[in-house]
Amino acid sequence: MIHLNVKASYLQKLEKELKKHPQKRDILQDYDSHLSELVQEKIEEIKTTDEWERIFAERIGHPKEVAMLWQEELSVTPSKTFYLFLLLNAAFFVGGSILTFVHFQSQYAWVRHTWAALTSIPLLIMAIYLGFWALLGYEIGKSFGARGRSLMKKTFAISVIPNFGLMLLVLFRVVPHEWFDPLLTETFITLCVGAFFLMYPVCYAGYKWGKKKSV
Amino acid sequence: MFNRELLKGSTSLVVLQLLAERDMYGYELVKELEKRSDQHLQVKEGTLYPALHKLEKQEYIECYWQEQEKGPARKYYRITDEGVQMLKEKTEEWQQFVQVINKVMGSPEHDPS
Repeated sequence: MIHLNVKASYLQKLEKELKKHPQKRDILQDYDSHLSELVQEKIEEIKTTDEWERIFAERIGHPKEVAMLWQEELSVTPSKTFYLFLLLNAAFFVGGSILTFVHFQSQYAWVRHTWAALTSIPLLIMAIYLGFWALLGYEIGKSFGARGRSLMKKTFAISVIPNFGLMLLVLFRVVPHEWFDPLLTETFITLCVGAFFLMYPVCYAGYKWGKKKSV
Repeated sequence: MFNRELLKGSTSLVVLQLLAERDMYGYELVKELEKRSDQHLQVKEGTLYPALHKLEKQEYIECYWQEQEKGPARKYYRITDEGVQMLKEKTEEWQQFVQVINKVMGSPEHDPS
């Protein structure tokens, strides 16, 4: 019966190391079954507590090491990824809105310089921004594989609301075009609308690429 | 036995391959891997379950419980259609990689003799 005590002790240590892991019960059940199979295999040749402890540590790993693997897994979850990209896109909007407002209202030279510098490279900014959507798809594909498709669609659909809103406000001139001088030429608006419709294909391509890297 | 680090990146691929042949439970996967590799591939068994859980989360495999005539029920894993597709892609990639490495390692410039 020594093996039962050693097994119970191993599982207790693992339970303690897993702390508040949300799947603690299932994880312990998996290791419980695995240890039982191991015990069945070795029961004829192992007799002492030390030997059982050694074989458990050699074959399974120390409870602390095992728990660390499970804790690492928690660092990337669908909800964390969803909120991260939602907030990042919102941050682009808030940053852009603040700069536009300050540029329109203030006479500070550094604000004028920053505005002039950014409005002189609109295509580069557009390309970088499309890269953000590719990264969103890639990270979701890499972390969540096949299951990530619905998460990617949901994250995209919700994150894109501010973009869609701003596009409509500009197109219907609810937002005065002078606010964005000298950016809002007819060509630039057409390019922005084109880029808007490119965002999903780019995001999806990123997802497909990330999914390839998920295994 | 090979360096465990070499196996680390391939654990998921090997698991998908074994499950493509038949449904298995965790301990059976470990034993099958050892048997098929003549004991050359030995995973630290504690690392197998996080790998299985990740594959399950990614919907490449799924699990179900099966009652046993003797002993408690066992949790079996089976590959999904997405898993089969992924296995096909990764196997092709792996075979290309092995071909290239063999070509490089087998070239006369690298012949240690």
